[in-house]
Order: sequence, then structure tokens, then C-alpha cells
Amino acid sequence: MRIELEVWRQDGPRERGRFEAHVVDDATPEMSLLELLDRLNDQLVEGGQEPIQFESDCREGACGACGVTVNDVPHGPVPRTPSCRQHLRSFGAVTRLRIEPLRSAAFPVVRDLVVDRTALDRLIRAGGHVDVMTGTAPDADAVLVTHDDAEVALDFAACIGCGACVAACPNGAAHLFAGAKLAHLALVPHGRLERGRRAVAVVDALEAEFGPCSTYGECVEVCPAGIPLTAVAAVHRERLRSVFRGRAD
Amino acid sequence: MVQDMTALREGQRTRATAPFPSTFALKLVMAVTGVIFIAFVFVHMIGNLKVYGGPASLDSYAQWLREVGYPLIPHKGVLWALRVTLLVSLVAHVGASVILWARGRRARGRFRRRRSSGVTAWAARTMLLGGVLILGFLVIHLLDLTIGRAVAPGAYQPADADGTIHAYTNLVASFSRPWMAAVYVVWMLVIAVHIWHGWRTMAQDLGATGHRLRAVWATLGALIALAIVLGNALIPILVQLGVIA
Amino acid sequence: MTHGWTVSDRLLDAHVPAGDPLGAWDRRRAEYRLVNPANRRHLKVIVVGTGLAGAGAAAALGELGYQVACFTFHDAPRRAHSVAAQGGINAPRARKVDGDSVRRFVTDAVKGGDFRGREADVVRLATESVRVIDHLQAIGAPFAREYGGQLATRSFGGVQVSRTYYTRGQTGQQLQVAASQALLRQVQRGSVRLHTRAEMLDLVVADGRAQGIVTRDLVSGAIGVHTAHAVVLATGGYGSVYFHSTLAVNSNATATWRAHRRGALFGCPSFVQFHPTALPVSSPWQSKTTLMSESLRNDGRIWVPANPGDERAANDIPEAERDYYLERRYPAYGNLTPRDVASRAARAEIVAGRGVGPLRNSVYLDFRDAIARLGRDTIAERYGNLFAMYTDVTGEDPYVEPMRIAPGAHFTMGGLWSDYDQMTSVPGLFVGGEAGSNYHGANRLGANSLLSACVDGWFTLPLSVPNWLAGLVGTPTLEQDAPEALEALETVARRTTHLLENEGTRRPTWFHRRLGEILDEGCGVSRSEAGLRAALEQVRQLGADFWADVRVGGRGDRLNQELERAGRVADFLELAELMVVDALDRTESCGAHFREEFTTELGEALRDDERWVNVSAWETTPVGKHIRHTEPLAFELVPLQVRDYR
Repeated sequence: MRIELEVWRQDGPRERGRFEAHVVDDATPEMSLLELLDRLNDQLVEGGQEPIQFESDCREGACGACGVTVNDVPHGPVPRTPSCRQHLRSFGAVTRLRIEPLRSAAFPVVRDLVVDRTALDRLIRAGGHVDVMTGTAPDADAVLVTHDDAEVALDFAACIGCGACVAACPNGAAHLFAGAKLAHLALVPHGRLERGRRAVAVVDALEAEFGPCSTYGECVEVCPAGIPLTAVAAVHRERLRSVFRGRAD
Repeated sequence: MVQDMTALREGQRTRATAPFPSTFALKLVMAVTGVIFIAFVFVHMIGNLKVYGGPASLDSYAQWLREVGYPLIPHKGVLWALRVTLLVSLVAHVGASVILWARGRRARGRFRRRRSSGVTAWAARTMLLGGVLILGFLVIHLLDLTIGRAVAPGAYQPADADGTIHAYTNLVASFSRPWMAAVYVVWMLVIAVHIWHGWRTMAQDLGATGHRLRAVWATLGALIALAIVLGNALIPILVQLGVIA
Repeated sequence: MTHGWTVSDRLLDAHVPAGDPLGAWDRRRAEYRLVNPANRRHLKVIVVGTGLAGAGAAAALGELGYQVACFTFHDAPRRAHSVAAQGGINAPRARKVDGDSVRRFVTDAVKGGDFRGREADVVRLATESVRVIDHLQAIGAPFAREYGGQLATRSFGGVQVSRTYYTRGQTGQQLQVAASQALLRQVQRGSVRLHTRAEMLDLVVADGRAQGIVTRDLVSGAIGVHTAHAVVLATGGYGSVYFHSTLAVNSNATATWRAHRRGALFGCPSFVQFHPTALPVSSPWQSKTTLMSESLRNDGRIWVPANPGDERAANDIPEAERDYYLERRYPAYGNLTPRDVASRAARAEIVAGRGVGPLRNSVYLDFRDAIARLGRDTIAERYGNLFAMYTDVTGEDPYVEPMRIAPGAHFTMGGLWSDYDQMTSVPGLFVGGEAGSNYHGANRLGANSLLSACVDGWFTLPLSVPNWLAGLVGTPTLEQDAPEALEALETVARRTTHLLENEGTRRPTWFHRRLGEILDEGCGVSRSEAGLRAALEQVRQLGADFWADVRVGGRGDRLNQELERAGRVADFLELAELMVVDALDRTESCGAHFREEFTTELGEALRDDERWVNVSAWETTPVGKHIRHTEPLAFELVPLQVRDYR
């Protein structure tokens, strides 16, 4: 099948970007979006051009490295599916693809389709962790966790850190990401003990680099890990809770 | 900038410090003032229902509003307290929304999100425009039925010297004008959308994470929005149909 | 480069504590030298890799107060490939009354590894596994729980007890996320400096010990030297040498291979596990193979058409003309034979022309009978997400037609050789996780890879690295402009320039694909002398072609993924040669290393315990000559025995 592409090219963080038009004539329905880009790159190199830079790693939907915007939708037209698992056969009649980086002021373009998503890690660094020294943990069987708490914690912990939620948000907010972490750690036994200080630290980092949430719900539509909108409420719940308690826990 | 990016990546510095006032606090302001407005609009709507009881019913209600609490509270004391609360809330609500809007634009950067994925996102996108429209309608409404200038009906009767109020007469006079009736109906629809999304966002901003709470909350929001539309928008329609005269 | 290789007389000493192997780790921990807390901040450790082993080691050493610099070529520590492990993590915590124990674990792992791993190290795995689970759950991994609040377990991969801890099908992801959070906590405290998008391209060895690394900043292209008192490599396995593998597309052997070229011995490079339930390569553009959980074999039946070249659709082939070859050959274990055996059997069928699918390179995994017996709902409940994933990848519906699966390169048991303390043959250079080679012998059991990475990272390296550092208190780190550092820097710069400026015609990926084909054919699931000799020639030729004909293009001073790939493929080409040499050298069949010449009358693997109860630890001289050194193995807890799954 013939796919017409408009792909964003940008030489570096400071350079201006532009769209380049290309055609892949021998695409197949089995191809994933990323394999289509692989194929296009083969063509480009044959034609003496530099290949398009884009990120991917596990190509199974676990690592969160991949992520491009396709026809204005982060990750691509298949809802809640990472770019690596978007297959052309699922695109229906769409054969014109405009591919650009994940867009947000918090994600500066490194080159072409590669963006810098370390803002997400700075948020985790600020407080998205548990203060337990190696080797000091008590017997995990002696710490009881209800079956449901473990399952719900996992629902939120499933976030793969791809950043699509930020790129989908008209406000460039990262509340789904931050909330998933806060909700996850509020449900695990040791994480629970520092909910207050974590909420303050994470929300400060969140507000420093990302926008406000206006409940557009766009993030949920693109999240490959299926994180629910409740995560956003968890950001405010945790923060508000810390205000009322005024304590580290 | 390349050097900056390396420094950012390696954690040598962060991009910025948390803004003041914090986004979280602004969202709380939006939520709390939003609750005040919804309560006001709802109570106002209940008051409006007195119109079905005829002129005496509505006028005496208006009268009561001015005298409630007397002699403990001076004449119009409650009314003015409400007015001041609403005014402060209005300033806070609009001010916070403008700051948040600017922060959202800045955080998003040069490339706007061009596509919208559904009715929720649509409602969210209408919030700013809806807010501006509501504000505009509010000015019309105050001129029309409270102050009695400019867009007020020709037959507008200000309060008598003894304090007698002609709310019913003024209302019917105003709503008899088809264009004004239409303005009010549109206004109510805009308010309904604004409330529906605002209510939803409020649950988010106040940290409601429980499934049942969220379900109940959503239903309640829809009912309130519906009640306000039906309760209020029916009045100009019924005036136009001649049922209320 | 010379043809052939030589065997040295040198017998390696792994420094295993003498005496009762079960208490060896306790004794060793008591012997380790310590560093005064005030001195720790003057001692610098470089950790390369942020997977479970790297993030763990960096975080733990940072907590202890050492100055840690941690490097990853990813944009974030969480992306390391530990994230993709599905099944779970083993720990013989032995709380249940199912007869589990440390000894039982050791027996399973040593036997599973076909007696080619180090028993004492496996004892450490088993012992520390208890603390691994405690620690990971404390730092945030939401392990599955019973309704009574206790940790839930399941059984896995041919083990008869239930000792696998899990978080649905995403255990690796949850452990990896928890570990990278712990790492970022140390970054926030200032005890670890994290360098993302920084790829290690060489090791600096001076005064006979590892003293630093050379890295390239992938964004700015800057090549720089970082020096330290010790270097830890936790850079993962090299299964992606086969091009199509279950590994991530960026997984590579560059760090370990560069260390090898600087003197670190490479243990048993030919020991590669092929996972039997990977999805087949179905199109020429396919970039990797996807792994389907092994659990599918609990209910699916594996078969091929009895007649080679049968063109009919699967459902049109009558029962009598289907060959359920695993059930036929291994009646006792049937479809649940261990990974190496199942992969080999599938490969034999495909080679015999009975493979299915458009490229005739897969076998059927059929749920028809299970659906008839248990109902579609039960099957959906058990495997719904896997079936959805299969449909997602292939566009076929496994409820209606059988899945097609094929062996896929998965885990490398081989890796840098290390002693009991995880120190390689280069003093001061340590290794952790899949980059090493000591635990799994010739075949790894399911759910043991997450465990070995965690034990190395959290509970071995934080003890053994300080033991080394204790001898360096008061010694400054190597100057950045020391001759050895400049030489390494120069080597990397020259190589980078060469790759950029070479006026060739082919992309690095082309060579990588070709290398994969050669290895699959000659040094894959089963190996023969003729095949290996042919592969050796082809690999060497391809290596020569690569340097003559590779084309990278672009600039070196900004992000250039083609350049990154080219360097990795160049190292894969050298490593592949050593893999083939090792496979030729080891004249026996053991675990995943199956030599067609060394089989029983029934075609099963035949070990040669007279000659090969040892680890081959390879040296590659600067001119590319391979020399094998030998580490003899001794088994005190588990007597040598033959694996039999019939």
C-alpha cells in the first residue's frame, strides 16, 4: 500500500523545524508505525539523505521510549496504544500521515521526532520515590496489603512514562503522570508513610514545568497504560490532604 | 541551549521554580467560587419559580430578600452581603481563570493541540468563551432587571419610594420582547454547559477519587445543570407563549 | 585476524569461599573490608546501565555515601530493558509447605543450567532473594497479594514449587520503575550523578585496573573521559546480536565488548537461550520478535502438519495429519518441556520442512482443544490479554485459528566472566545482571533473570565493590589527561570519525540483519560443526565488508542514531565471531548449546562431563586472536545428573 507522509524535520533544539513530504510505496498492513518509519529511513538513505531520528526501544509497549504525534494525535490513530503497537492495518482508510514530535513546551525537540522528556523524571526525582534504605525493609509477608489495594496500586503503577498525556493536553499538563505516581505510592505500605511531603514536592515540580489541568480528558484517550482520569483527582487529593494534615505522612 | 539541555538532563538545574500563586491554589479558588456561583444560580432559580405563583408571590419574595433578618440585620443587609460575596467571587474566579489560561498556553508552547477527542474535551474548550459570554449576559441581565437602564424594557418600573418592588411586571415586560427571551434561553444553555464541566472539574480539583463519589457527583451535576436550564429558561418561553402575563 | 583459536593452560580462580557452600556468602560478607563513612565520599564509582542491576548498585552505593556517577544511553533510567520482563521473580522464601527451600532452588537452577553455572553463586541468589522481595516491595513494587494480605506466588517454568512473585504480566516493569525511582531519589540527594543519553564506548585501564570510561554524549556528540576508583558494568545481554530477538532494538553489547577488548574475559558467549513462544518473523521489515508468555503452553497444544509442504489452512488439516511432536517425543512433560528443549524441537520441525505460515518458519500453538474442553470464557480469562496482543501484532484471531510461534533469541547466559565477588578479570571492573555470566550456566530458568539482576545490584555489588575500594582509600582518581585516558579517548574519536566518514553504501542495519541471518543459521537453536565453520567464515567476511562498505553519514556533533547503531553493529560483529568460536570449541551439547554431533541415540543433548564441567572464559588479543581460559566447576550440593524430560 502507498502511504503519503509529512514528517517533521528539525536539525537541533535551536534550529527551526519544517515538514518534509515523502511517500512509501511498499508499505504493508502488518507494518507498525515505527516500521513504516524504518522503511522510510531506508529509502532516505538510499537517496543520499539522512534518516529521520525517532525514538523506540522495546517495541512491545513496555518501555515508553517511543511516541510521535500522528495526524495531531499523540502515539497515533489507534486509541490508548503506543506508537510501536500502532499497525497500519488498524488505520482504516487513512493513508496520509502527518508525523511530528510529541508537542509540549516541557518537551524540547532534540532532533526530528526526538524530544527531551526529562521533565517527567525531574518530577519523580522531586518526590516520586520511597525513603527506604537498602536492606532495611521488614519481611514483606509481615506487611499486610489487601488484594484490592495491590491491584489498584498496580493500575496506577502501570504508567510507562511515555509523555503522551502531556502532548495530548491543550494545557501541557502532566497531571495524569503525576497523579498515577502519587496514587500508586499512596497505596503501598511504605510509600504511605510520606504521602504529605511527597505531595508537596511532586506538585511543586509539576507546577514548575507543566501547565494546569482543565479536565479536557485528552490524556486518558491516548494513555497506552490505561491510567484513568481519577489519577488527576489524586494529585489534588494528595495535595489537599497535605494542607489539612500539615505533616510528612 | 544545548548546554542547558545537558544540565537539565543531568539534574544540574531544574527548569523553573513553582509559580506563585500556585496552580493548585488557583484551582481551589476556581472550585470554591464555582460552588458559590452554582449555589447562587440554583437558589436564584428557586426564587424565580415564584413567578408561577403570580405577581404577589414574586414581588413579596423580592421584598423579603431585602428585609430578611431585620431588625437584627439592617435593611438590604443580607442582599448586600450576598452581592459583595458574589462580586469578590467573580473577581477571584475570573482572575484565577485568566492566570491559569496563560499558564496553560505557556506550558503547551508554540504548537497548539488542534484536535479534540470528544464531548468532554469540547466542553472543556468552551469554558473560557462560555465564561466571557456568561459575564456579558450578566451585564445585560443587571441592566435589564436590576438597574433598569439601556437594555431594560420601556415599561421598566423602579422600586417605589416606600420600597415596593415591581419584579413581576418588569420581568414580563422584558421577556415579552422575543429577542430578549432568546438571549435568556441561550444564556441558560451556556450556563448549563459551563456548570456541567465546571462541576466535573470541581470533583477533580477537590480530589474526589472514589468511584461511587465520582458517579454520584457526576449525576448530581447533570441534574443541577438540567434543573437550572429548565427552571429558568422555561420562564421567558412561557412569557412568549402567553402563559405568564 | 587469525583463523582458529588457542587454549591456554591458565585455570581461573573464582575466589569462591572455601567450605560449606550454603554458608559461603555469610562467611564472605563477614570477610569483606569496609570503608570508613568519612572516606566514602572521596571514593568514586562509575555504574553503567540503569536496569535492575545498575540502578540497584548505583542507588545502594550512593546511599552508603560513595560518589556515584551513573550512565545510560536512554533518555530516562526507567527505559532499561529490565522493564520488558513479564513473568516474575523467583525467591525461595519457603513460607509455604510445598517443600521449597534454598537447597531446592539451588538444585533447580544448577540442574536447569545443565551444570555449567557456578553453584556457590546460585546459593547467593537463593539466599538474598528473600531480601530482594522485601526491599522491592518496600520501595514501591506492588506485588500481587492474596486476599489475606500475603504475597501471592505462582509456579513457573518446569519448577515443582510455587516461588515466583509477580505483578500481573508486568513484573519487570514494576521492579524497574521502583528501582529507577530509588536511583532518582539518590540523584535528588546529590549522592548519584546521572548522565542520560550518554553511551559508554570504551574502558580506561591504567596500572592494571579499571579506572574510568569513555562516553559519547548522544545529543551534543561530545566524547569525554570519566574516571573513578571502580567501574560497574550492568549493561544487559547481547541477544539482539541475532537482529530479530525479544530484546529492545537498542540493546547492545558495546559496553561489555569494549571491556572485553580491554582485557575482561568473556564467559561462554555461545550460551544463548531461545524462547520457544516468540512470534515468528513474518515480514522483511519486521524490526524484532515479540515474546508471548510461556504460560500459553499450559493450555495450548503445539503441532505441525505431518507432511512437509502442506499448504492447507490449519483448520482444514485433519487430526490424523497433525503431528503433536512435543507430546509425541516427550510424553512426560509434553507441551511443557523446558525452553531449550521446546525451541530445539520446533527448530527441527521447521528445518524438516514442516514449518507453517507464509515463510514456513513457525509452528502452531493451538487452543482448539482447550476451548472445547474449558470453554471460550475460561481461555479468555486466562489468556485474554495475550490473545489481544497476538491479534494486535498479527491481525489473526487465536480463538479461531491457531497461533503461530517460533523460537526467538531471548536471554544470553554468557557474558563477562566474573569471580564470586562479581569482579571481572580486570581488577576494579565489576559486572552485574545479564551482562555477567556466573549464575545461569547453559540455560536459565524462567523468573531467575530479574532475580540475578536484583541480587547483584542491591545485595552483592554494594558489598563487594567497597571491599575493592577499601584498598584505594587515599588514592586519587586517574587524571583525565593521563596517557591511558587520552589513548582510550583517541581510540573512540578515531573510530567515530572513521564510521562517519566511511564512503560505503550500506546502512549499519543491513549488516545487522545479515549477521542475524548468519547466526540463526549457523549458531542458533542447534549447531553443527559444518554450520559453525561456515558461519565463522561468513561472520569474518561480513566484519570486513562492514568496515569497507558501511555508510553512516550525517554529523558527529548532534544526535545521530545511525552512528550509534553503526558502533553497536561493529561490536556485535566481533562478538559474533567469538560466539561461533566458543560454540565450535565446546564439543558437547549442554543446555541451550546444542551440537548436532553430540547427541544420544534418541537425538537428545549429550553432555561431556569428562571434558566440559567448566566455564570457557575467552580472551581476545589486540589483534583479534581468541584464547580460551578455563574455570573448572565443582558441584557439592547438586550431584551431576542427566536432564530427562521424556
